[in-house]
Order: sequence, then C-alpha cells, then structure tokens
Amino acid sequence: MHETRPAKITSPITTLNGGHLRTAPVALIVGAIGIGVAIMLSLGSEEGLKRFMFTYLTSFCFVLSISVGCLFFVTIMHLTRAGWSVTVRRVAELYAMCALGLGILFIPILATVISGSDMIYSWNQGGWTMHDLTTAEKAEFVNVANRPPLEQMKYQFLNQNFFTIRVIAYFLAWGGMAWFFLSNSLKQDKSGDKNLTSRMQAFSAPLMILFAVTVVFSSFDMEMSLSALWFSTMFPVYFFAGAFLSALCTILLTGLWLQKTGRVTDEITIDHYHDLGKLMQGFVIFWGYIAFSQFLLIWYANIPEETFWYNLRINQPGWMTLSILLLVGHLFIPFFLLMGRGLRRNRKMLAFSAIFILAMHWVDHYWLIMPQMNPEANLYTLTGMGIVIDLACMVGVIAVYIAMFCMIAGNRSLVPLKDPRLGEALNHEVH
Amino acid sequence: MAEENTNSSTDENSKLIGLVAQFDDPDSLVQACDQARQAGYTKTDAFSPFPVHGIDPALGIKRTILPFIVLGIAVGAVFIGLGMQWYTNGGSLGEFSTDESPVFPGYRFKISGKPYFSLPANIPVTFEVIVLSSAFATFFGMWFLNKLPMLSNPLHRISRFKRATNDKFFLMIEQADEQFDRGSTEAQLNQWGAVSIDECRRDLTDNNLPSWLRLFALMGAILLLLPPVAIFRAMGMTSRAPRLHVVPDMDWQDKSKTQTLSPIMMNDRYLFADERVMRAPVDGSVARGQLDADTELYEGIKSDYVPTVSMTTPQGSVRTGLGTQDEAEAAPPVEDVSMYVTEFPKEITVDEALVQRGQIRFNIYCAACHGYAANGDGLVNQRAIALAGIGKAQWTSAKSLHDATVSNAEKNPLGRIFETISKGRGTMGPYGAQIPTADRWAIVAYVKALQETGIKPVLAVSEEDKSGESEASDANATATTPEDKTRPTP
Ligand code: HEC
Repeated sequence: MHETRPAKITSPITTLNGGHLRTAPVALIVGAIGIGVAIMLSLGSEEGLKRFMFTYLTSFCFVLSISVGCLFFVTIMHLTRAGWSVTVRRVAELYAMCALGLGILFIPILATVISGSDMIYSWNQGGWTMHDLTTAEKAEFVNVANRPPLEQMKYQFLNQNFFTIRVIAYFLAWGGMAWFFLSNSLKQDKSGDKNLTSRMQAFSAPLMILFAVTVVFSSFDMEMSLSALWFSTMFPVYFFAGAFLSALCTILLTGLWLQKTGRVTDEITIDHYHDLGKLMQGFVIFWGYIAFSQFLLIWYANIPEETFWYNLRINQPGWMTLSILLLVGHLFIPFFLLMGRGLRRNRKMLAFSAIFILAMHWVDHYWLIMPQMNPEANLYTLTGMGIVIDLACMVGVIAVYIAMFCMIAGNRSLVPLKDPRLGEALNHEVH
Repeated sequence: MAEENTNSSTDENSKLIGLVAQFDDPDSLVQACDQARQAGYTKTDAFSPFPVHGIDPALGIKRTILPFIVLGIAVGAVFIGLGMQWYTNGGSLGEFSTDESPVFPGYRFKISGKPYFSLPANIPVTFEVIVLSSAFATFFGMWFLNKLPMLSNPLHRISRFKRATNDKFFLMIEQADEQFDRGSTEAQLNQWGAVSIDECRRDLTDNNLPSWLRLFALMGAILLLLPPVAIFRAMGMTSRAPRLHVVPDMDWQDKSKTQTLSPIMMNDRYLFADERVMRAPVDGSVARGQLDADTELYEGIKSDYVPTVSMTTPQGSVRTGLGTQDEAEAAPPVEDVSMYVTEFPKEITVDEALVQRGQIRFNIYCAACHGYAANGDGLVNQRAIALAGIGKAQWTSAKSLHDATVSNAEKNPLGRIFETISKGRGTMGPYGAQIPTADRWAIVAYVKALQETGIKPVLAVSEEDKSGESEASDANATATTPEDKTRPTP
C-alpha cells in the first residue's frame, strides 16, 4: 500500500561517522605507494619520466572528468529544479568540490609546461616542430599552404603563459562553482532557508554557461593539445559525455557503498538508483553518438590534417584493438547491461555496470592520451611492464582522489537535511 | 443502482459487460482495487483523472511487454536499414553483382573514393531508421495493446462515468471474470466503499452500415484509384502538351539573359542599334586596374615592337577548334618570332618560389593534357588519342613540351610560351581568363625548368625520336616521376 513519507531524515547515520579518519590516511599511503611505484618503474623504462607523466595525465583526466561530471550534475539539477535527486545531490556536491583539490594534482603537469619542457605537450618548445607528422607530411604542409605554418597560428593559443593562465582559471572556476553550491547547501542544512535554494537556482543558469566554456577549453588544453595540430570541435562534447557518464557511475557506486556500510540507509531508495541507471544508459548512448559523429565527419572528409589522429588509432594494430574494445565495451556491452527495468532495479547489476563503465572510461582516456606519447610506437610496445606502470599509477591517483573525498566530506552530512524538495525525493517513485 | 433483473445478464437489446463502481478519492480506489485482487478478480480495470501511484500492483497488472516489441522492431530495423542501403548502393554479392553482370545493379556511385558499401557511411541512416521505427513501434504498439482505436466503448453510455476525466475514480469488474456474480459482486463493491454502482451494458441493436453507404464507399474507393492509375499511365510516355506553369512570374521573369536580343523598345524601335542585351564597354574606356598597357608583362611582346605589314593574323588569337593537322600544315602561319620577349619581365622575380608556384599551377591547368612531366602523356590526351584511333574524335595530340619546336629558345622565346598559355595556339585553347598573369609567368618558368631536365617523352611520338634532340638516357626517363622531380632554378 502506498504511503507518503514525511520529509524527514530517518537514517541513524548520515555522515561518514569518523570513517574518513580511518580511510583517508590509508588511501593516501596507497596513493603514495602507487604513484611511487609508477615513477620508479617508468624511470627504468625506455621513455623515462615521460612514460610516467603520460600515464599520470591519463589517470588525472579520469578522476578530473568525474569531478567535472558531478559539477554538471549539481548544476543541472538546480537548473531544472529537480526534486528526485535531492538525496544523491550532496555526494555529487562533494565530488565536485574535489575539482579544486585536483588543481594541486595538476601541478606536476603544469610544472613541465612552465619549465619549458615538451615532455607532455609537444607545442611547448622553442621552434615547435610539426611533432607527430612524417617528413613527407611536413613537406607537404610547408609547400602547399602559402601562409604561416599551422604551428605558428596555433601558437597564439597554445603557449606557456596563456596555457598556465587558463588552467589556473579552470580550477578556480570549478572550485568556485562547487564551493558556491556546497556551502549554500550546507548552510541550508542548519537553517532550512528556502531562499538558499532559489538563489542556487538563479545562479545555476549563468554558472552553466561558465561550466560549458571551461569544459570546452580545458578539454582542448589538457587532452586534445597533446596532438596540437589536430582539429575537432566535437572533442569537448566527447569529453563531456564521458565525464557525465562516469560521474553518474561514481555517484551510484558511492551511494551503494554508503548504504552498505550503514550510512544514509533510508534516504537513497531503489528508485533513485533506477533513475541513475536510466541516465547512465542514456549517456552511454550519447557517448557512442558523439564518438561516432566525431569519427564519421573526419572519415568522410578524409583530410590528412584530421585523419592522422584516427589513422594512428586504427591502422596501428595495438591501438586498433583498443579502439574496438572501446566500441564494444564502452557502448554495446553497457547498453545491454542497463537495458530493462529489472536490470536497472538490481543493486548488484547496477554496481557491476557502474564499475565496468568506469573501467572503460579509464581505457577511453588511455586511448585519447597514450598514443600521443610516441606516435611511432604501438600499444604492444607499451604493454608488458607498461601495464604495471599504468595500473600502479591509476590505483595511486584514484586512492588520492578517495582520500580527497573523505577529507572534504569530513563530518558533513552526506544528504541534504532540510532541502525544500526533500519530501519529493523521499517519495520518488519510478516505473 | 440496484436492478431487479439480477439474474439475466442478457436481454433483447443489451448485454451486461460488467459493474462500474465509483469512488470519491484515489486512496479508496487503490484500496478497493487491492481488495478486488485479493478476492480473486482478474478482469478488472481502474479509471482515474490522473496517474495514481501504486495502482498497478493493487490491480495486479503485469508489466507491459511494449519494451520487448520495440526492441524486436529496433533490431529488425538494423537489418532493414543496412539492407536497404546495401541494395541501393549496389552492394556486392560476389560474382553475381559485378559491373558487368548486375543481378543487383543498384546505384553504383563512387563517392569520395569510398567503397560502394562502407559501414561508417551507412550508420547514420541505419540509426535514423531505428529511431523512426522504434517510435512507430512504441506508438502503434501502445495502440495495439490497448485495443485502440475503439470507436465506441459501452462505458461511455454511463453518464456518471464522464467524471472519470474530471474528479471521480472508478473500478470496473468485468462480467467475463470467473468470480463474477451479479449480486455478490455488487455487494462486495458496496462493502469496499463504492459510492455508487452502475451496470455497463453493450448495445446489441443492429449496428450495420446502411446499404446505400456501402455502395457510396465502394464508388469512392474506385474513384480514388484514378489518380494513381493516371500517374502510372503517364510514366514513360511523351507528351506534346506544354508544361503547366504554376508560378508564371517566376518562370517568365522581366529580365534579359546573356547572349540574347535586347527587348527594350522605344518608339517602336530597339533602344540599342545592335539589339544586343550585353553592352560592350564604351570605346576607349578601361576598367579600373585593367589598363594592362605594359605589353611585356601582359602579352609577352616587346614594348618597342612595331607590327609589320607582312603579318597576316595575330598568331593564336583564334582557336581553330576542330581544324585538322592537314589544314594547319596547308597554311603555315607567317610568324615574326622577334616580337616576343626573351627575358622575364622586370616585375617577375625568378626564384625557387616562382618555379614551385609554377609547378602547382602547371599540375592543375596543364598536366591533364601535357602530362606531369610535360612529355605529352596527360590523361586527356591519352584518352583523346585512343578515341581518335577508333574514329570517335578528332584530336591534335597535345605536344610534348620537350619537342624541339617548343623547347628551342630561338623559335619559341619566353614571350611566345606566355602567349600560348594566354591566348592558346593551334588546337590548344586559351587559359588567360583562368590563370592570373603572375601565375602564367610562373608556369612559363616551370616549363623552362622542365625542359632543362630533358625528359624523354613516354608516349611514342615519332618525330621526337627523329629529331634526336632528346639527350636524356632511358634510365633517366624512367627514374623521373612527377613527384620526385628535381626543381632546377632557371
Ligand atoms: C586541353 C588540353 C590542353 C591543355 C589543358 C593545355 N594544352 Fe598546351 N597544347 C595542347 C595541344 C593539343 C597542343 C598542340 C596544339 C597544336 O599544335 O595545334 C598544345 C601545345 C602547347 C604548346 C606548344 C605550342 C607551340 O608552340 O606549338 C605549349 C608551349 C603548350 N601547349 C603549353 C601549355 C601550357 C603551359 C598549358 C597550361 C596552362 C597547356 N599547354 C595546357 C593541349 C593542351
């Protein structure tokens, strides 16, 4: 029989309840070990520190995209005045807040740029050469185009100073946005003031524009500029699609974990998971749509300035395997994993799908970043010990990220206590 | 509410379908549904002005199979979408559908060098087909499952029931249910809190169409067939009737077209004596930036040259078009080669950049006929010679520019090559209108550079061999492909 639940928090524990004091140090130690092992092994490898920096950038972009996706989740929920998501919104707010902390993790990468090294970004060097082209292609560029070489033109945007300024601006913008939402929401926990919600809603629209701009340019800067001569205006959308998808998975997994450990047991219901699952499936398809659109346009136009990027990932046997893995693992399998109400209302299945998608999302960033390290090498020259480096670094960065989450969450409530739409969320029911 | 005729469910004019109980609020409806299900009723239905949470489990309604219908149709659409494109693109069935024996001819168009059937190009269309057919499957599947369209529903005969779209809630128990019993069911409904109970009866009076209407419908259907029949008949037929003009003032516009007579009349006379639509510039006027007085730069003719009387016609200014070689030889042109400049005009700086520019322009404009190495083996030329061989065309072979007559600086000074490009020569057409002056000089520079390399013609042009001018060895000629040609600076 259907009864309306009162808009009251009933779970006995709504905070990490001291868990962060235990988890954070452990996570930090694991993080230090993981990253340390990765650095040591890389130094012994052929490419040296460069090997580590690339895999570090991969894992960094992976966790960054989660935070960015969570920030989008919070903003869009305010923008649409959503009621259902109130009980999972705090988790997203906390992850979004991690974006500021991730700014610290970006320092090693920024340091290579500031020190004038082209270890990661090939555009960052004296006479920036057409790094990842063959001699014949280079000659063609210079001969055919009766104008300054492309590097010269792109250098206006991709240069040390401007890059540094932009990156700092991104992290400040994300941190500022996340803090705005988190602090107001925390304030409401105490006062229950409805005006705070109105205020967040009013600001969510302009902030959404800020979000769009920063995500577009940060994806250009951090990932796409690895292959600085490439063109694709679809890239930021691709980045965003993966980011929001992985954010949904992370929110879902965090919710499940919190409930499994006896926290916020009453507030997040199967209906919330069901809706998250629906969104996940939607964004799996969206990711596929965008990935294919980007590919199709370039494939059809068949212009060497654009095709070389895919050529690398399709005609090199190793990267080809990874491309197929993404197509199947990032699109087809999750599509069917999340198909149907039964699967989307089964916590175990959802947890499995979320972990699977997150793993694929990491592979996605690997696929975007690693081929750029040494365009001549193919995946097979990166495997072997390389796998250990990648996994160690991934574990390390994720552990640091978890520690960051624990420290930010602290003793704060993991669910908004007095949100005006709490009742709606608690009584949320889907079919 | 209570009927006397409790036992007979059917009388002459109507048949009992079920009992409809009214409730005043959603909660009592849900409760009643729950009790009806517990009492073992299965053929029940509830009606409410808005979706009521929890009504589905209360009624024991199973989940719809619509998603599976949609999934099935969508998977089918993948094959339909791909198959349709595969067929229309003349996809391959091995030896059954080659160009020669087209069992499935399709439309075999090569588009930007892609295979006839290439998956990436076909995915968007397939995707659209999936989306469209899924939407249809959802929409019409829902109709089908809900037995729509239903032109008449006995429920609408109950006047109270109208408020189901407004503020009342109804539960219906069908007569077809095994548990149904007119009396006890009514008692149960009352017990569960029904505010009022109505019988739902189907009208059994004759509901056939009047016979004259059938006739009309038949005639209408036949008439509707006429337009398609007319269209089918018209297909593939010729007609002498003038076409219909739906928007006449778009078909006949008040304007003059190029190369026609001027329609402008004044006092019954044409406004322009020559009656032409296109007006020539006034004598002696020069358009801005087109003075072109410097003959050395613009025509390749020495500025101090004074035409002599012995000159018949200016060479090359008229394209002879289909003139045969015989005619050309019959009237050998009288030419004063001394009129042409032998040096590049002072405005043109000859350097590597110029020659490279010349190469690009040459490959675009000239290579089609003269070949990349200028030895006369361009594709147009080859094809034209082949056609001429079987009498399907008349063609003067595009000369090898390494021909002695062309490469000899005495007989063919720079200015003359420039003129050849600008105004054409013999059967070669003029390119002055397409290629800017500076580019034409660049081509001249590149032609001279090519001639310096002394490439031997690949096409067997016998005079070439006789003249014995070609100094390049065979090995040299084969090693020289257009791409890796060295670019000497003149
Ligand atoms: C449509 C084919 C075609 C194209 C394109 C073409 N030519 Fe020719 N060209 C010919 C033919 C045919 C002849 C021989 C004309 C004749 O002898 O009647 C010729 C002759 C010549 C000659 C020798 C003229 C002479 O002195 O007898 C020169 C030089 C020449 N072409 C240069 C060029 C250059 C430079 C271009 C590029 C701007 C060019 N041609 C483009 C067909 C072509």
